[in-house]
Amino acid sequence: MRLLCLALTAALLAPMAVGGATPAAPAKADDPETARLRRQVERLRAERDLASGKGFYLRLDASRHRLALMLQGVALDDYAASALEWGVPEVVFVNRDPGAGWDAAAFSKGRLEPERDRDRIEVVAPPPAASTAPGAETPEPSPPPVPKSAEESYSVPSPYRIAFAEGVSLEVRAKGEGRRNRSLFRRFVDALGLRLSDLGAAVGARERVRLRVTLEAEDAASLYRSLPPDVGLVVVGLPGS
Amino acid sequence: MSVEGQAPAPAAPVPPPAGAAAAIAGRLVARGKDLLGRRRVRIASGSALLLLLVLAGTGWDYRAAPAPGADLSVSPPARPATREGARLVAERQRLETALRRKVPRGTWIVIDQTHNRLRLMRGDDTLLEAPCSAGSGMVLKEGTGGRVWVFDTPRGRFEVLSKLQNPVWRKPDWAFVEEGEPIPKDPGDRLEYGSLGEYALYFGDGYLIHGTLYERLLGRPVSHGCVRLGREPLREVYRQAPLGTPVYIY
Repeated sequence: MRLLCLALTAALLAPMAVGGATPAAPAKADDPETARLRRQVERLRAERDLASGKGFYLRLDASRHRLALMLQGVALDDYAASALEWGVPEVVFVNRDPGAGWDAAAFSKGRLEPERDRDRIEVVAPPPAASTAPGAETPEPSPPPVPKSAEESYSVPSPYRIAFAEGVSLEVRAKGEGRRNRSLFRRFVDALGLRLSDLGAAVGARERVRLRVTLEAEDAASLYRSLPPDVGLVVVGLPGS
Repeated sequence: MSVEGQAPAPAAPVPPPAGAAAAIAGRLVARGKDLLGRRRVRIASGSALLLLLVLAGTGWDYRAAPAPGADLSVSPPARPATREGARLVAERQRLETALRRKVPRGTWIVIDQTHNRLRLMRGDDTLLEAPCSAGSGMVLKEGTGGRVWVFDTPRGRFEVLSKLQNPVWRKPDWAFVEEGEPIPKDPGDRLEYGSLGEYALYFGDGYLIHGTLYERLLGRPVSHGCVRLGREPLREVYRQAPLGTPVYIY
């Protein structure tokens, strides 16, 4: 037991030491106002680059509590967030600093966790009828099955995450969802699983910052079902940016 | 002479009898075991407490973003104090303008192929929203030739390249393969009239927004990649969307 505790403590402290040893240092010693302007310009450049590309991206406006799916600068879908938070890993009460201006960059290759698998229907075509004898009836090919709608195809977990390559993730929670139709035991198991997953993510070095938005259940489901692959992210309006 | 209050000199130890010695030894061993046990309990409880502390202090530290409309008091001064500040403000304005210009000012079309909805927009206003049918995602395998088709609607930004009234469908190979029919050699045998509805808007790569004979299936992903629309919304889209209208599909 004692050895186990020591091993656990060491495992938890080691990444903190690594993370704490490499704080991001500001490139230039600007006055605060110039530094803030510089971050804003950097962020706008990142957004312009995303808007000039061909890929889809999410734009999280923290000051307006809006999350929009964008393509080339155009909001294709826009969701209101009832709550918005951002968090950093905390190991033994010590926060791992993501570095000043972490939100000035754009993030890329966002992937859904858990993944959304598309279940495709495969049809093997019948061989073509060579010739039809006069008077003979040609058999009607059976109509192809009607594909499921998005609502029928994908069940939506709550919460789910969109993990970006740069160590930032966006956690989407559905307001009120996931509680109504779940037993107390199921909720307990979910909460425990989430806590363990949070713990693992905090200790691991992969995630630097996590943004957490709470959307209406319908919006959260809609975003999960329609999110294009390899989506980008730009964050605007966080305090201090 | 004895002094009052002084402790008497200790008596010389008397060796205990053998039985008593064994009893004392037994008691000592038991007490030692007890002490060791208590120590173990103390160590275990201490470690558990430490572990609990570590676990309680490990996780994610969240900060709430201020509610919309909150006064953040971060507006920059009207005139930056430094030359670098002035340059950055000008750069910021230039970038903001460039981003604003990305939004189409005229008519544009958005298609949500997951939920099979089409929106006709002008600036920020929604002129029309209607159910449509996007690609089924079905995979068709040719029994003999080995060709494979995937019926997806492409994602991305497109433009209305041409507009057609009473479009005629020139059936591609897959349409015959799917029906189990031989592929005709005469191009005229590929033409089908009426199945695309009254209008079609071509947005490239062989994809159209067109009408359908199966309006009851609108709202479901049943097409071969084109976007099917009901008769009335199609009329409206055809009327309002000029050539060059951006089409965003996601």
